[in-house]
Amino acid sequence: MILVPVTYKGGIYRNDEIIDLIEDLGGYIIQKHIIAQEVVLQALVPKEDIPLIRAIAKPLTGEITPSPLVGTEIAVITMSLEIHHLPHASCDIAEYIRRNGAKTNMVGLARGFGKRISQLNDEERDVINEHDLAVYLLGDFETCIEHKFQVLRRGIDIPIVLCGGPSRDALKKIIDPPVDGYVGNIGRFMHRTKESDEFEKLDEVIAEITRVIDRQREDIAKDPLSVSPARLMDVIKEQVPEIQDVLSPTPVTVQMSGLRVKLPYDTFSARIKGVEIEEGIRIGDIADLLPSRMRDYILIRIRRFSDTNIMV
Amino acid sequence: MDPLEYFEVECPEKIGGEYYRRIADVVLLDHNLIRVIHKLHIFIDPKVPIFVAVGLIKKLPGVVRLRDFADTNVQGRKVTISIGDETYLAPLLRILWEKFGKDRVEQPDRFTILMDLDPDESAGLEDLEVLDPSLSLYKDLIYALQVIQPEGFKVRRQYYGEGRFYLVASEDTLPENLDDILKEKFAKIGVSL
Repeated sequence: MILVPVTYKGGIYRNDEIIDLIEDLGGYIIQKHIIAQEVVLQALVPKEDIPLIRAIAKPLTGEITPSPLVGTEIAVITMSLEIHHLPHASCDIAEYIRRNGAKTNMVGLARGFGKRISQLNDEERDVINEHDLAVYLLGDFETCIEHKFQVLRRGIDIPIVLCGGPSRDALKKIIDPPVDGYVGNIGRFMHRTKESDEFEKLDEVIAEITRVIDRQREDIAKDPLSVSPARLMDVIKEQVPEIQDVLSPTPVTVQMSGLRVKLPYDTFSARIKGVEIEEGIRIGDIADLLPSRMRDYILIRIRRFSDTNIMV
Repeated sequence: MDPLEYFEVECPEKIGGEYYRRIADVVLLDHNLIRVIHKLHIFIDPKVPIFVAVGLIKKLPGVVRLRDFADTNVQGRKVTISIGDETYLAPLLRILWEKFGKDRVEQPDRFTILMDLDPDESAGLEDLEVLDPSLSLYKDLIYALQVIQPEGFKVRRQYYGEGRFYLVASEDTLPENLDDILKEKFAKIGVSL
């Protein structure tokens, strides 16, 4: 069964039927938003069942669309949280990625600004490395990007998509060693993105991120994870009832090869390690539980099949 | 709104310069400064790095006095001020409270102020200076230029007066020949220092 990431949008009326249907078909609801009279579900559903869901959703005027970024956690890195970068362009880009299904976290660097003086500290580095992908939003000048990017990428071992003012070719030329994705002509600006050519630019960012994410998914498919992160999320939600009391919008955040569980590490890690997935296989057998640098959350990294020889 | 008579962004990196032109345009518009600035020349060199903005101010409306927006009627000790334009009411009240004390300044409704003053206190009340627009303009202008400049340029020198202004910023110490640079940039907008 191949699960594909989708977004479902529909009215609030009888939306529970759709949720039940997805769960009965073996899919997983990653996130559910209720905005006024509208429900937006981000889910992983079996590929062959999409026509069925579409048929059942039709009388409810629900729509199902593929959104390749569902089930990923992306860091949007902005050089500072000053008015120079916020709300445009950083929030515009972060929000656009979010609308395409990803869970985005904005990482505002404490001292990312400037050319010679820009820095990345160890906490920022570790927080960024907890994500599936990092989108760097840099400025308008080639000279500055060339000079400072070497500092900002130090120690980052996740794929990077670089956005900057110079053209894509210019960015490619100045970054050495190369990063995974580039989007040119989207640097610092102070106005809201509302023109059609600006939306095209944002779509270009999404396309570049999707390309990099797809490549990562292919890599995972070659040596699959011992358990799907979405399934592990369901198991934790069922067996650790305290997670229901967490007020965060995504108490368990699904990543491509792991989970972020928003419960204190010291209190819950041992308990989660001991949670049984099926027939004597515990979470601790197939995944590493690490303390996250984001608050006191738990970071679960699922090990590959070749490592554990277990597949559930 | 009247456009600026002269507005240029000079930068060795062409694309970067174009972006900064747009940024400057948006920021000045957002801060309502387009109608105040007459000429503006911005120079950015990311290699140094340095940011220089020089410009001229349009002739500003002068100091706002009480008689410009209100009628004052003095009858013996009783002074009645009828406000015509509410824009300046808040600064006026602040000045009156400070000068005569809150207990002597009464405001029965939005547009009327009643006071009980000695004749020597009420003399020349109509010429009371309420607001000097150029004072807040300086703050607004420098703030806007700081928003335009690339972030992280913490070493700054700024000046405002005699109808012109400049702001120089860098992340390193400012160059020694700063005066020459300013002279050159001011020459571009037709000002000789």
